[in-house]
Amino acid sequence: MKSSKPIIEAKNISKTFGATKALKDVSFDFYEGEIFSIVGANGAGKSTFIKIICGYYADYEGEIYIDGKLVKFESPRDAYEAGIQVVHQSIEQGIVQNMSVAENLALDMIVSPEARFIYEKKSILKRAKEIAKKMNLEHLDMEQNIQDITQSQKQMIIIARALAKKPKLLILDEPTSSISDREATMLFETLYKLRDEGVSILFVSHYLAEVKKISNRVGVIKDGKFGGVLHQPVEVQQIVKAMVGDLESEFERKDEIKSEKNLLLELKELVVEGSSEPINIKIYSGEIVGLLGLIGAGKTELAETLFGIRKPVSGEIIIKDERVVFKNIHQAIKHGVHMVPENRAVNAIVPEESIKDNITLPFLDFFSKMGVLSKKNEIKAAKRMIGDMGIKCEGYDAYIESLSGGNQQKVIVARWLLMKHNIVILDEPFQGVDIKSRRDISLYLQESTKKSAVLMISSDIDELVDVTDRILVMNKGKILGEEKTSQVDRDKLLALITQE
Amino acid sequence: MEKYVAFAIKYGFLIVMAGSFLGFGLLEPSFWSWSNMFSILLGVTIVGILALGVTFTLIIDGFDLSIGSTAAICVMISSYVMVVLDMNYMYAILLSILLGVTIGLVNGLLIVKAKIPDLLATLGMMFLIQGLQLIPSAGMSIGTGMMLADGSEAEGEFAKEFLFLGQGRLFGMIPIPVIAFALLAIVIYFVLQYTKWGRILYAIGGNEKAVKLAGVNVERYKIAAYVISGTISSIAGILLAARIGRGDVTSGGGLLLDAVAGALIGYAVLGVKKPNALGSVVGVIFIGMLLNGLTMLSLPYYTQDFIKGVVLVCALIFTFGLSKSEI
Repeated sequence: MKSSKPIIEAKNISKTFGATKALKDVSFDFYEGEIFSIVGANGAGKSTFIKIICGYYADYEGEIYIDGKLVKFESPRDAYEAGIQVVHQSIEQGIVQNMSVAENLALDMIVSPEARFIYEKKSILKRAKEIAKKMNLEHLDMEQNIQDITQSQKQMIIIARALAKKPKLLILDEPTSSISDREATMLFETLYKLRDEGVSILFVSHYLAEVKKISNRVGVIKDGKFGGVLHQPVEVQQIVKAMVGDLESEFERKDEIKSEKNLLLELKELVVEGSSEPINIKIYSGEIVGLLGLIGAGKTELAETLFGIRKPVSGEIIIKDERVVFKNIHQAIKHGVHMVPENRAVNAIVPEESIKDNITLPFLDFFSKMGVLSKKNEIKAAKRMIGDMGIKCEGYDAYIESLSGGNQQKVIVARWLLMKHNIVILDEPFQGVDIKSRRDISLYLQESTKKSAVLMISSDIDELVDVTDRILVMNKGKILGEEKTSQVDRDKLLALITQE
Repeated sequence: MEKYVAFAIKYGFLIVMAGSFLGFGLLEPSFWSWSNMFSILLGVTIVGILALGVTFTLIIDGFDLSIGSTAAICVMISSYVMVVLDMNYMYAILLSILLGVTIGLVNGLLIVKAKIPDLLATLGMMFLIQGLQLIPSAGMSIGTGMMLADGSEAEGEFAKEFLFLGQGRLFGMIPIPVIAFALLAIVIYFVLQYTKWGRILYAIGGNEKAVKLAGVNVERYKIAAYVISGTISSIAGILLAARIGRGDVTSGGGLLLDAVAGALIGYAVLGVKKPNALGSVVGVIFIGMLLNGLTMLSLPYYTQDFIKGVVLVCALIFTFGLSKSEI
């Protein structure tokens, strides 16, 4: 830390929503030239705290000091002018589609009230280049359309724009949630550089390994209260403990369940669209299999082929001795193949519908006679899943948006575990899911996987090591290796997934 | 405070409606007469039926701009069949419904298969139908005794049974169109609220991709929504033809906007914020009642559209403005 006086102090911040106290006496301070992370289980009050220091709630209690002076934020504008810059989780919300790279970089100049009526291309380009320099983005083609660059480049542009305002505090909300591991590493390098230049960074992430790696200090919010500040060196276990208290002991691993009698799903020389590598996999009932690989390794394509979204180029899919060919998703479901897709907001959640309606969506035929729904049976099923999976909600009739991200994910997992199935595929099931919900989902999968199987797809080794019985590694469409989770060698797996 | 806002969102509209019902009756006692009640209902049946149709497409987050012109072309086709071709009224009904189904199917295919945005596809269809309805009668209204192209006079006439659909009354009191409207409303309310088809239509409007990934043939449901919309519009057209008893080329004017306004006002009923059958019915009845009451209090007719607009904007504020928005 370069200075001993904090540049921003938040003291005894509290906030109530109706009858619930979302935040109670939480205090953190931020220093120049450090990366400070805030962690907390979903619903702990993390986002409420961040929204308060960004000025979204005017009716908070407590004090915020900037450079020792008391300030009162009435609107996001106030926080913005006080030097607090936020880079939101959604990259798409931070850029303007249909504009060029330069225009996105110099956006403030274009929309400023002082801007001249006539569009000044030259000065915009000049300004854009200045901003780009800060983040080493000069090599980008300034004239190209923003849609033609990668996600992480877009994100860099958003960060560069925020930095151009010379912020006192730069807040990064889940910045790694939609970029690859390699891009994340690049982002961290940039953050270190900024930190060393004296920028104060507030980092918010669900990935505790990242938090451990890059933070100078870690602030914890637990159940809306101050949960302490951890200093480096800090371990992931410590952070987890501060966030949710002690967790139950490790899962039991099922090591030896392979036997031809239990064979559930077999892929024979299966060639997936867009690849020429034949895939051979055997999955046995009662096991949880992980499929590990980077973005672009072909995992999602394989999952979509199993779920009837894509047609295989050649090869066979055999479920319980029966060769199956799925023309569509409906047929896959009929054969007991269920899938929790990645990115729940886009692919799974039906907003403004109840938890119950979200759970029963694929199985309305089962819950209806001649098309008329039996709400009684639906409610019974929904209540059972809410109880079994520990979904925190006001009731089965609550809107799904009223739940925290982790609980929303539980609802989506519940949707596909509701009915009897042979195999359930989970594609990146823990994206944006807090550690407590992740545990709940994992435990439920462990308990409920007896006669069926689970194929869990992820690009995060730790997520898979946590729950699976064995892990398959996929790289460029090929299955490169397999390890039992109980004897897992992370370095070897890492080498396999990144192997060129 | 939040409690009051929630209460206002949920019941505000119905309270306003009940209030104006009381108010009109106190100021003008004949407003409360049975005959006036039925005259209000009869006045809104055509628009109400169309509002029920457009509800289906609104539910799937689509839109059907061709409902008014579909009803209008059905007026022309039934008149043409009975008056010019001198055929049985059953053919008029069958042909109208067949036409409605076809228009809906074409709309659905244009939107789902040709991937034309719903507003544009149905706008195009609206134009097409408006033009098409003029062709058989060379741009003239159809009525018994009209001059045909070959110089002869049209000899057919509207069948009594057909006219009964629009002008008849059950027990000499309840107009037949009102009964048709009520039956249709009940069936549609039931389908949307209590069947899996209704559930899936709403879910498609919420997140189409999620429904697709739940194994549902979304395309078929979307096409069906437009077919239903077209079919219901043709029913409205048949009732309209039966009511006016001639093939009036101008009969479709204003139907579309009034129906859409009714369905949108319906979002505010009980604060559901979604297109819904009950809301659409209540919405058109509210407008009908308001105009009827104000006319009794000698409001000039040319202010009617203005009143409808004010009601629509207020209802939209109830629905969207009062709820807390994100960021």
